Amino acid sequence: MDVLFNGLVDAIRLLLTGDQDSWSITALTLRVSLTATAIALLLGLPLGATVALARFPGRRIALAAVNTGMGLPPVVVGLFVTVLLWRSGPVGGLGLLYTPTAMVIAQAAIATPIVAALVAAALQQVDPDFRVQMQALGATPIRALAALLGEARLPLLAAAMAAFGAVVSEVGAAQMVGGNLAGQTRVLTTAAVLATSRGQFSLAIAFGIILLLIAFGVNLSLTLIQQRQTVMR
Amino acid sequence: MSGLSAGIGCRGLRVHAGRRELLSVPELHVAAGSTLAVLGPNGAGKSTLLRALGLLSSHRVSGEILLDGRPATRSLLRDAIVAVLQRPIMRRGTVAANVISGLRFRGVSRREARIRAWPWIEALGLGPLVGRDARSLSIGEAQRVSITRALAVGPRVLLLDEPFSGLDSTTRADLLADLRAALTGQPTATILVTHDRHEALALAEDTALLIDGRIRQHGPTAEVLDRPGDADTARLLGYTNLLPPALTGGTHTLVARPEHTQLVLAPSDGPADQAHDVRSVTGTLRRTVALGVATRVDVDTSAGSLTCLHPGDVLATELPPIGSDVRVRIRQARSLITADRDEPTETLPGPGDRQGTRGPAFDSEL
Repeated sequence: MDVLFNGLVDAIRLLLTGDQDSWSITALTLRVSLTATAIALLLGLPLGATVALARFPGRRIALAAVNTGMGLPPVVVGLFVTVLLWRSGPVGGLGLLYTPTAMVIAQAAIATPIVAALVAAALQQVDPDFRVQMQALGATPIRALAALLGEARLPLLAAAMAAFGAVVSEVGAAQMVGGNLAGQTRVLTTAAVLATSRGQFSLAIAFGIILLLIAFGVNLSLTLIQQRQTVMR
Repeated sequence: MSGLSAGIGCRGLRVHAGRRELLSVPELHVAAGSTLAVLGPNGAGKSTLLRALGLLSSHRVSGEILLDGRPATRSLLRDAIVAVLQRPIMRRGTVAANVISGLRFRGVSRREARIRAWPWIEALGLGPLVGRDARSLSIGEAQRVSITRALAVGPRVLLLDEPFSGLDSTTRADLLADLRAALTGQPTATILVTHDRHEALALAEDTALLIDGRIRQHGPTAEVLDRPGDADTARLLGYTNLLPPALTGGTHTLVARPEHTQLVLAPSDGPADQAHDVRSVTGTLRRTVALGVATRVDVDTSAGSLTCLHPGDVLATELPPIGSDVRVRIRQARSLITADRDEPTETLPGPGDRQGTRGPAFDSEL
């Protein structure tokens, strides 16, 4: 218990004094995970909407595949991205391995199926005739789709939260494609793993707390957006 | 918007699902300011027709949709037409926000939309509900909002897809009356799809009977409802008793409503053949069912069974025992000569007939 308590006290002191390293690690974590989430939303929203709304052969298989992708192990994604970016790999020439860009790619790959699956579920829970009724009131097909997205905005924002939560907390892919290089690709999760393995528990706990605070901060802002719109309308 | 052609119509309209033809309507026109009821049984293609006209179909549609007699572009039609679907589908938000959404889709500002929607909100009695969350409404209230939302647009064409189904009879009668009042005097061409002839009578000047994706009859509502052309339309219009020539000794099959078909309870019961439109056949009494407002009597004849409907509660002692031979008297039977509308029906409507009457639920459906 002493270890935990002392660790906590040290962690808080560390946070309050705020050394340069912790700040840069935190900033990189935010940058990588938010970028990855944004990319996942850009890809996952149309993908999920297509799987949910379009009619094409094999739609249900696509839906099952997307749902399976929700449980994609980060380590597997990390492995694939590593192989892709490896010097002798298909796009090895770009020299992206062990850069933040590689981490963004891996995290976006983890988050995209999460976004797509939750978007599909969100849109399918709205009445199937919703878009028809909106068009029947004079909405263009695009306007009707926008109305549908607006209708499902609570679960859609939940999809964004789930995506961010998944990438900010994963360690496998970040470690594998980022390499945990100090000052370059070290993020909170990989830093916490390293600190723990070195026995620097208070440092690890400090990173853990920052991670929780970030997750809370991002989700708090999304929740506020989500709920404000509910009250406003 | 003058001339005969103002309104909505179609030419050579066909709807296919895969290779199967769901609907084929060579020609249809509903004039501005008038209402057409499309009456048909379930699966006849009523909603298919409505969705095709409203550009809402998910099937393959061919042919032309005509606005004011001319083929119209999609955006022109989108602007002119509003449809109310069978289930009221509300958006998140208040009743007021829902009512103005049709106007908002047409680019009307929120403020302007509220001003334009308000008279409709009042006309349909939604005043007390405007601030309510639309998803907390009962089905009847939601349908009322859905109809108000459509009317608020001030559409040139209003398409109603069984908007009264699923409502209890009081709610239905109220909404029917309010809708009728709201439409009166409006330059809107309205098409009401329904399987209920009472709704057609209450709302529509003209009625088309749609069966198996084709319009079998089309004309003034009272006339169409009273002149079934074939066995299918007879059943749709409530002429459920079929009297083949073998039974009546006539040359054509006759059809009659159960409420015009009654047991002759006593030998002296009324002057048997006071008019030429009264016929009588014999059969065997199968069962009697007291329904409160009426008593239903099923009689087996040599050519199928007949349903008689006696108003009120007929005392059990008045009725002959089950299995006994009975005589059935049929009034106002209609002859299924041909679907040709110009052919006079065998009998003319009697004085007590409700030709031309208007109003919901003119007789009980039993």
